[in-house]
Amino acid sequence: MDTQATSVLNRIIRRIPNKNIENLLKKWSCLSADQLRALDYTRPKWMIVEHVISFCEENRLNLKHITTLEMIYHIENPDQGTWHACQLAEAQGKSVLFTHFIFKEQFKAHLHGVIRHISIKMKKHEDEAIWIRIAWGDNFSKPNHLKPTYVVHHLHTSYVFISNLMAKHKIFLCPALVIATKHGSIKDGHLSTRSLTAMRDLPLRRYQQVFPNAHSRIPQERNTLSSHPCIGKEHGDHEEMRHQMSCEAFGHSPSPKLETAVYSLETRYRGKGNQTLSDRKEFFRGVVRFSSSSLLDSLRHCVASGMAEGPVTPLLSAITQRGRNYFVITDKGPGVSSQASAQRP
Amino acid sequence: MALLTPYSKVPELNTATVLLVENEEELQSKLANALVQYEKDFNVNVRLARKLPLPVENKETRPRIDLIVFLVNLLSERSLQSVESSLAHLHSDCFLGKVCFLVTDARCGSHTQERLVSVRKLAAAHQCPVLCAEHRTVDGVNAAAVRLLNILKVSAGMSPIATTALYLSSLTRCSVTSDLEED
Repeated sequence: MDTQATSVLNRIIRRIPNKNIENLLKKWSCLSADQLRALDYTRPKWMIVEHVISFCEENRLNLKHITTLEMIYHIENPDQGTWHACQLAEAQGKSVLFTHFIFKEQFKAHLHGVIRHISIKMKKHEDEAIWIRIAWGDNFSKPNHLKPTYVVHHLHTSYVFISNLMAKHKIFLCPALVIATKHGSIKDGHLSTRSLTAMRDLPLRRYQQVFPNAHSRIPQERNTLSSHPCIGKEHGDHEEMRHQMSCEAFGHSPSPKLETAVYSLETRYRGKGNQTLSDRKEFFRGVVRFSSSSLLDSLRHCVASGMAEGPVTPLLSAITQRGRNYFVITDKGPGVSSQASAQRP
Repeated sequence: MALLTPYSKVPELNTATVLLVENEEELQSKLANALVQYEKDFNVNVRLARKLPLPVENKETRPRIDLIVFLVNLLSERSLQSVESSLAHLHSDCFLGKVCFLVTDARCGSHTQERLVSVRKLAAAHQCPVLCAEHRTVDGVNAAAVRLLNILKVSAGMSPIATTALYLSSLTRCSVTSDLEED
């Protein structure tokens, strides 16, 4: 096994806690049952790495198998690194037989035609998602397996989620995706998070949504403390209404775990106090950034508990309604002070 | 403007009702549970509100309120402002022993000291007592509940010795000393 293979293997095994290594190696199914039994997971990591490397050499495994292992590891633990969403547009008439097979073939063919040295691995996951691992080289050097790009595409949706892509490779990846999925163009989705599950759930609406409803209110999971018959709430109706409003805007818990929302302001300063700032013709550029360990839960709690007054401003509810967390706000017309608008990349 | 009056309804037998008003709605539910569980001699009803005025829809079903407690979190400016605006919705009869202030987080930092002084001045102007409570532990909440129950007993007329609420409030009302006035 060459040095690149051993260093990739080293990196994978060092990252996982010892108790999970066994499952991963079993899923990989490249080591025999005896070899798996012989591994002692209570040893220090460097010993485990050495054992695994020696078994791999016994079985004559090469870089291809190691990259399969890395891919299995990433599929099992998708919430690492930063993922960015891209949206495909202008779907052209798809043939009836559009399957993942066709996508695979066309994608690989395009990229192999454009770059001489590139390593592509594709795997179809059970929930209609295709995982692609790309190690980029160029016309002169071998693919670099230490910095692979991961791409996840759910077939029949128009979203593609990408992790760890360098700008210089973007010009190769985007046309390949557009051609392989039979669309006309691809644009930036303005959504980036660390968690792939959140990234997938938000634009594809796979969280528990609440729709405006005149009659039934959703049950709140309030503490069961307040169910004593002697305790009465004066503002009970208001509370329910606030709860309903917050869940309509941000979904019922558990909601997708976004970490940030960024609003880039290109508006004019409108404060009364400061003379020098308000007379300027050019924009007062600022960035407003919301951060939280789970942003949608925090915003929902702010509205439901009455800290923020309802109704929910469309600037915040646009996060769930449009499935993005980067917005550019510009001045449009007199009277309307700000309006969220999309920015072309 | 509909004011909350203390004597407009008939009292119920062996029952006392306390109204907890808190802007944040955090401490009031814990305190309500403690209040309801601690008292064994008579029934305690607790009404929870965010601010005054209370919704008109509940006027018929609401029992007669014997004690109104304003919970102020000294860490938040908004808490105090909400209490100040709620005070305007009380009939002046209420201040004869039926209103009490409970503050929390009185020891956490410098802004809380200034707000505590304002609360005390407010209470002194209205002749009401100020209680300080510690709300982060179960013991603190229970201790505050016991103190409130003592005041509630007198306000509701349940005290065996003929102590009236007015008499108690003149003993327990908050006074602002001259060195606080000079602040």
